[in-house]
Amino acid sequence: MTAVDERVLAASSGSAPLRANRMRPRRQWWRFAAALGITAIAMIPVAVVVYLSLRPGTGSTSTATITFENFTNVFQATQTLTWLRNSLMVTLGTVVVSVAVAAPAGYVLSRGRGRTVSGYSLLLFVVQSLPVITSVIPLFIVFAKLGLVDSLLGLGIVYVGVSMSVATWMMAAYMDSVPLSLEQAAWIDGASVFGSFLRIVLPNSLPGVLSTAIFTFLVSWNDYLVAIVFIRTNTAFTLPLGLESFFQQNVTDWGSVMAIAVVMTAPPVIVFGTLHRFFSVGGIGGALAGQ
Amino acid sequence: MTISPAGTEHVVAGLHRPVRRRPRLTSVRVTMLLLVTPSAFLLLLITAYPLGYAAFQSVHDGTLITGGSYVGLSNYGNTLTSAAFWDAAKFTVVFTVVGVFGSWLVGLGLALLLRSKFPGRGLFKVLLLLPWVVPVVVSATSMNYLVATSSSPMPKLFHALGLGSPLFLADPTWAQVTVCVYKVWVSFPFMMLMVSAALSSIDETVYEAARVDGASSWQQFTGISLPMIARSTYISWILMTIFCVNDFPTIYLLTGGGPESSTTPLVVLAYRTVFQDFQVGPGVAIAFVMTLILVVVSTLLYRQIRKATYQ
Amino acid sequence: MAKNQGLGHVGVSRRGFLGLAGGVAGAAAVSPLLAACSSGAATGSGPLKFWDMPWGGTAYSPAAKRLTEAYQPATGLPTAQYQQIQWANFTQTFSAAVASNTGPAVSTGGGFQAFQFASEGAIAYADHLIDTFKKDGTYDDFLPGTIEAMKTEKGYAAVPWAIDIRVWWYRKSVMDQVGVEPPTTWPELLSTGKKLAAQGYYGFAAGAGAGQPIGGQQMLMMMVNNGGGIFNAGGELDLLNDRNIEAMEFVRELVSNKIIDPRAVGYTIDNVNSQWKNKKFVMGIDTPGLDSILGDTSGDLLVMKPLAGPHGDKACLTFINNIMMYSNTPSQEGSEAFLTYYVKNMKTYWQQNLVPGLPTLKSIVALPEFQKQKNKVDVIQDWQPIGKSFAAQATELTPALAKIDSGQAISSFAQTMFAGRTDAKAALRTFQDALSALIK
Repeated sequence: MTAVDERVLAASSGSAPLRANRMRPRRQWWRFAAALGITAIAMIPVAVVVYLSLRPGTGSTSTATITFENFTNVFQATQTLTWLRNSLMVTLGTVVVSVAVAAPAGYVLSRGRGRTVSGYSLLLFVVQSLPVITSVIPLFIVFAKLGLVDSLLGLGIVYVGVSMSVATWMMAAYMDSVPLSLEQAAWIDGASVFGSFLRIVLPNSLPGVLSTAIFTFLVSWNDYLVAIVFIRTNTAFTLPLGLESFFQQNVTDWGSVMAIAVVMTAPPVIVFGTLHRFFSVGGIGGALAGQ
Repeated sequence: MTISPAGTEHVVAGLHRPVRRRPRLTSVRVTMLLLVTPSAFLLLLITAYPLGYAAFQSVHDGTLITGGSYVGLSNYGNTLTSAAFWDAAKFTVVFTVVGVFGSWLVGLGLALLLRSKFPGRGLFKVLLLLPWVVPVVVSATSMNYLVATSSSPMPKLFHALGLGSPLFLADPTWAQVTVCVYKVWVSFPFMMLMVSAALSSIDETVYEAARVDGASSWQQFTGISLPMIARSTYISWILMTIFCVNDFPTIYLLTGGGPESSTTPLVVLAYRTVFQDFQVGPGVAIAFVMTLILVVVSTLLYRQIRKATYQ
Repeated sequence: MAKNQGLGHVGVSRRGFLGLAGGVAGAAAVSPLLAACSSGAATGSGPLKFWDMPWGGTAYSPAAKRLTEAYQPATGLPTAQYQQIQWANFTQTFSAAVASNTGPAVSTGGGFQAFQFASEGAIAYADHLIDTFKKDGTYDDFLPGTIEAMKTEKGYAAVPWAIDIRVWWYRKSVMDQVGVEPPTTWPELLSTGKKLAAQGYYGFAAGAGAGQPIGGQQMLMMMVNNGGGIFNAGGELDLLNDRNIEAMEFVRELVSNKIIDPRAVGYTIDNVNSQWKNKKFVMGIDTPGLDSILGDTSGDLLVMKPLAGPHGDKACLTFINNIMMYSNTPSQEGSEAFLTYYVKNMKTYWQQNLVPGLPTLKSIVALPEFQKQKNKVDVIQDWQPIGKSFAAQATELTPALAKIDSGQAISSFAQTMFAGRTDAKAALRTFQDALSALIK
C-alpha cells in the first residue's frame, strides 16, 4: 500500500509520477501546439461572451467598438455588488455546511457495512435523480411553512440538500482510499471511531474535501432554477437572478447580461486557478493507488 | 477494502480484525448513526415532501395549485403509450450517450495531452475549465450567436469551406447535433478533471516496468492506464449520466426542445408538460418514469464500480 | 459483500427509517389539498402585496414601484407593497406562492394566468369593482371590448390595463430601394415578398425557436385574418376549417418562395430582433412596440394598414394584459381600492413612454404624449378595432387558453409550418389532435 502522505503529495503536484520522465523539447512543442489549438476552439463561445460584454449595450449611444460602459453600468445602476456579496455568502455557507455534513456521511458509506448502508447509498441516488425542476414548487411550500423563503438561509439549505447526494458519494469514494490500517493503528492506541474519523481519515481526505467543496460551489453559484422561485427581494438576489433581471418581455439587455456573466465567472475561475491541482472527484485515482 | 468472512458480525470495515483494543460495537453503531444523521435529516427535509407531493400529483388530475381527484395509474398509462414520450426517450438516450462518451473522450484526450509539463500548461488547464464554469444561460446565448442566423460565424464558415449552409437550429437533425456538441462542450472539463486526477495517481514505476518489457505507448495506455482508471471512469460515467438525463437548461435555453420536438429529452418534456401544457399529473409521471430508468442504469453502472473496486 | 448486520440494527432500522420517510411524505402529500382548500379563507394583515412583471425596459419597474408606493389608502385600508417578478419561470413563482398562501393580493401576470387561477379558485372576481367603475364613469373610459374580454361564466376574472396586439410592420427604406409599396392584400403580400426575396430580403419576419411564442401567434393571426381561428363560434376546436387550410397553404407558398427565412424555425426573440435590425426582415407581424424595442424610432419602421385576406377579411390578434385580484388578501376592499387607484393613475407609463403595450383607457390615448407616437396611434386607429382574441372565433376566454397559449402544441405547429415540409391539412390535423388531448 502506498503511504497516504505520498498519495496526497502525488495528487497535489499532479504530474509527480512523470517528473522523472524527461520529455524531449520537440515533443513538448507538439503538445503545446495541440493544447493551444484545442483551447482556442473551446474558448470561442467564451470569447463571444467577453466580446458581447464589451459591445455597447441596448439603448447606448456609444459608437465605439469596444467599451467598458456595460461594466460601469451594472456596477453603478444596479445592485451588482450586493448580488455578488449574496452569492458569495450563500455559496460559501453551502460549501462549508455541505462538507461538514457530507464528510461524516461519506465516512459511514465508506466504512459502514451491511444492507442498510448499501440501501442508504442507493437512496441517495434515487432522490438525486428526481429533477429539481419538478420539485421546486413543493420545496417552496415546505420552506414557506418554515418561514425560509425569500431568504438566503433557505436558499442555502436547499443547495446543501440538492448537492448532498453527490457530495456524500464523492467523500465516500475518496475515503475508500484512506488505508484502514491507519485507523486500526489509532484504535489500538485507544481512539474511538469518531476520533479516528476526525484525526486520521478527514485530514488525509483533503483532496476529497476540496473536490466536494468545488462541486457544491458550482452547484450553488450557478443555480437560478431554485433561486428564481425562492427569492423576491432585489437586495436578496444572487448573481444569476441579477442576470435574469435584464430579460424583459420582448427585449433583453445583452450588454448587461454579458457583463454580469463575466463578473459571475471570475470567482469560480479564481477558485479553480488556485485549487485545480487538488481537484479530483472522489479522489478515485488515489483510491486505486491505495489498493 | 476488506471482505469479511461470511457470517462475521461487524458494522465497520476492519473492526472484526483481531486487534487488542477496539471500540465497542454498540458505541460504534451509535457513532455511525450520529455521523449520518445530519445528512439524512437534510435529505429528508429536501426530498421527502417533494417526492411525496410528486407521487401524489402523478396519480391525480390536479393543477399546479389544486389537488384534483384520484385517477389511479392512468397518467402513467397515458405517458407510456404516447408517441411524444418514446420520441423523448429516444432522444434522451442519444443525448446521454453522446454527452457521456463524447465528453469523456475529449476529457481523456486532454488529460493525456496535459499530463506532461510544457510551457503554459497550468494556464491551459484553467482556461479549459471555463466551459463548465460559465453560466449556461449565458453560454447558450453565445452558442445561439455562433450558429443561429445566416450572418452568424458558423454558417459563414461552412459556406466558405464549401460545406453548404446547414440550418444548425432549424433543421431537426442538425439541431440534435448542435445540442449534443454544446453538451459535450459544457461537460468535457468535468471529465478532464476526473481523468487527470485518476491518471496522476498511477505509479510511474508501472509504466517503466512495462517499457522495459517493450510495451508500446498504445499498449501502455490500454494495458495500464485504462484499467487503472476504471473505477474513476465508471463513477464519472454514472455522474455524467445523471447530469445528462437531468439536464434541463442546456437544451431548453438553446432550442427550447424544437424544432418539432426533435431535441426534447424526457426532462424537457416533463417540464413542458407540467408548466406549459399545465398537464401536471402526466408531466410528473414522465419525471418519475425517467427517474426510474435513471436509477436502473445507475445501479447497473454502480455494480461495475464495485467490481472494479474488488479487482 | 458478506451478509451481515449493519447500521440497520442500530436505533432506527432501515424499514423503520423508510417508513418514517414514507409517513412524512404521505402526510405531506395531503397538504397541497389542504393548502388549496384553505387558500380561500386565509387572510392576513399587513400591506397588500402587488406583484408586477417587467413590462417595459429598465425604467419601467422603478416607475411602477413609485406609482405603487405613492398610493395613500383610505383610513382602515392596507397600504400596497411593490414586488417585481421576473419572466423566467414565472409560472412556478406564482403557483408556488399561491399554493403556499404567500402569494400576492393583486398582480399583473402572463398570458391567461387570471383565467387559469380563476378556474382553480384562487381569484377574487372583479364584478363589484367593475360595478363601481360603471357608477363613477371609469367603465366608459375603457376602450370598447377590453373589459368584456375579461368576462367568464363566474364573473370578471381581471381588469384590463394594457393591450398587446399583433400588427404588420415594414421597413420603408428597403421597400423604397426595392421599389415596392406596402401590400394591402394577401396576393400583394405574396408578390411584394417575391420581389424582396429576389434581393435577399424576407417579407414575412418569423421566429419559432427557444422561448419564442411569436411564431405560433403569427400563424394564428394568419388564420384569424382569413376568418378562421382555433375555435368555432360555438367554442369548439375547429382547426380543420377551410379558411384555416387556405391560410396555411398561403404560408406554405410564402415558405416555398423563400419569403420566410429558412432559419426562422430556430430563431429566438433576439434573433428576430437582430434580423429586423440588420434589415434582413423587411415586413412582418410583430408587437406594437417593435420600433422602440429595436431602438429605431427614426420613422423607417412603420405600421401597415390591415391586410385583406382572399375573401376580404381583415383581423388581427389581440391580448388584454390585465390585473387580477386574489382571494388570499388582507382585505378585499383594500385590493379593490388599490386597483382603482392604479387604473386611475397608470397613465404615467404612457406619459413617460415606458411600456410597449397600448393603453386601454381612452383618456390615455388622448394624451398629447401618446398622440405624438405615430405608429401607436395608427395601431389604435387601424388595428385595435379589428382585433380578435386568442379564442377566435369563439368570444369567451377560458382557462384552456392558458394551455394553448404557452403549450408545446402551438410552437410545434409554427415550426412545422415554417419548415414547410408538411401540407397544411396534415399540419392542422396534428395541431388539432394535440390540442384536443390538451383541453379534453
